[in-house]
Amino acid sequence: MSISTPGGPERRPTVVSTGKKPAAGRPASGAKAGSGKPTGSPRAGGKGPRKPVTPVKVSQGRAWGPIALFVAVGVLAAGIIGYGAWASFQGSKPWDKRANAIDGIANIRKSDPDSLKYESHKSGPLTWNYSPPVGGVHNAAWQNCMGDVYDAPIANEHAVHSLEHGAVWITYRPDLPKDQVDKLAGKVRGVEKTFMSPYEGLDKPISLQAWGYQLKVDNADDSRIDEFIKDLRVNASVEGPTALCNTGITATGTTPRELQQQPTQ
Amino acid sequence: MTAPATTDSEYDEIPADPDEGGRAPASRYGVLALAIMLVVGLLLGYAGGLLTPRLTRPGDASVEAGFARDMTTHHAQAVEMSLIAYRSATLPEVRQIAVDIATGQQGEIGAMQTWLREWGLSPTGSNPPMSWMSDGATVKDGLMPGMATPQQMTALRNAQGIEVDRQFLALMYDHHLGGIHMIDAALDATDNDEVLRVANTMKATQQSELNNLRQLQAQAKG
Repeated sequence: MSISTPGGPERRPTVVSTGKKPAAGRPASGAKAGSGKPTGSPRAGGKGPRKPVTPVKVSQGRAWGPIALFVAVGVLAAGIIGYGAWASFQGSKPWDKRANAIDGIANIRKSDPDSLKYESHKSGPLTWNYSPPVGGVHNAAWQNCMGDVYDAPIANEHAVHSLEHGAVWITYRPDLPKDQVDKLAGKVRGVEKTFMSPYEGLDKPISLQAWGYQLKVDNADDSRIDEFIKDLRVNASVEGPTALCNTGITATGTTPRELQQQPTQ
Repeated sequence: MTAPATTDSEYDEIPADPDEGGRAPASRYGVLALAIMLVVGLLLGYAGGLLTPRLTRPGDASVEAGFARDMTTHHAQAVEMSLIAYRSATLPEVRQIAVDIATGQQGEIGAMQTWLREWGLSPTGSNPPMSWMSDGATVKDGLMPGMATPQQMTALRNAQGIEVDRQFLALMYDHHLGGIHMIDAALDATDNDEVLRVANTMKATQQSELNNLRQLQAQAKG
């Protein structure tokens, strides 16, 4: 192209005529294919007519074709990329982002990370800064959390170990109406990595715990309960999704138990 | 990119009157168009290549995701029963098959959890359990087909002597039957190679274990 350009006359028609014809022809081809092909049309179209005609108007008309084309292709590209990005973003929105979006949730991992640190398992009764505790030091034995519904208070020392394994622990005031308790039990029974028990001295009727997270609600119908379980069960595990919930303590009672040499029961 | 285009337009302007200067952009657009199209085309191709595996992998409500999540729950109870039997059963053969089932199924849980991670899905789903099964298998008190009730689990834990063996064998037999039922549903509905491979292995394993469990039941009757 550039080599032949010095031939002024040859070049001129190309430039001029393109403006005339393609003004009509280009938009059509541009609208159709959206990629590749249309590029040829400006030049190909230019080979036709010979005489130079009107100036300014023509060249303006010429410019709109490619612009429209680029806009069309650009919008298409942005749409495809945008949709893909949106879809994958929605699909893989991290669990902690979803959990943090729960209204009223306490994120102790963020607000008080030191309280979750501990050196090693400790036997005997322990104390925590949160009630019920949400993580930190605990006994060697964990509370069985295979969807166990305990009808009496259990030992925090074991329950915290279950939280470390990714369980969600639902606690409720002992005076919670039975229908509410049954509703909570329906969310727990048969679902591994969950367990529930009554808890003395709660400041709200129901409190949910996962490792480093806590949510207190007034009613078993609160939709945030399901959201909490969905976001944090298994996901909140410190030891990954295969940490055990079975082979734990299945007895109730708030006094922690030592592991036995022989099976107790 | 713009440099050559500018040179072109200068050539055009030599013989032309001032008005023709307005036409120069035409040839510039030609080159620009080609370049931009090329770039846009490459970007589109790149984006498509990046997104295709994401858009074609199993989604949150897919059979594959439902199977992975629910079979994890189902397996988890089998592991629990088997570890109780491994610790407390009387017959060495029962303790042997128990530890085999426990470690085997725990390993499969790991595989299924890895699928969910690779698919960018949470190990927990929004749909109720078993909703991925087309035949509408029922969930009773939160329990999937073949799963033992809390009362049965407590009885197993509290059992003594040969009674542990007997209860475990009976519970695990039912558990495998329910498990195979779920596996069949997945095999019918999925075309995911990895899911098919693992599900077929699970089914074959559980079927051969059913025979062994039955044989041990005869032995445990004493």
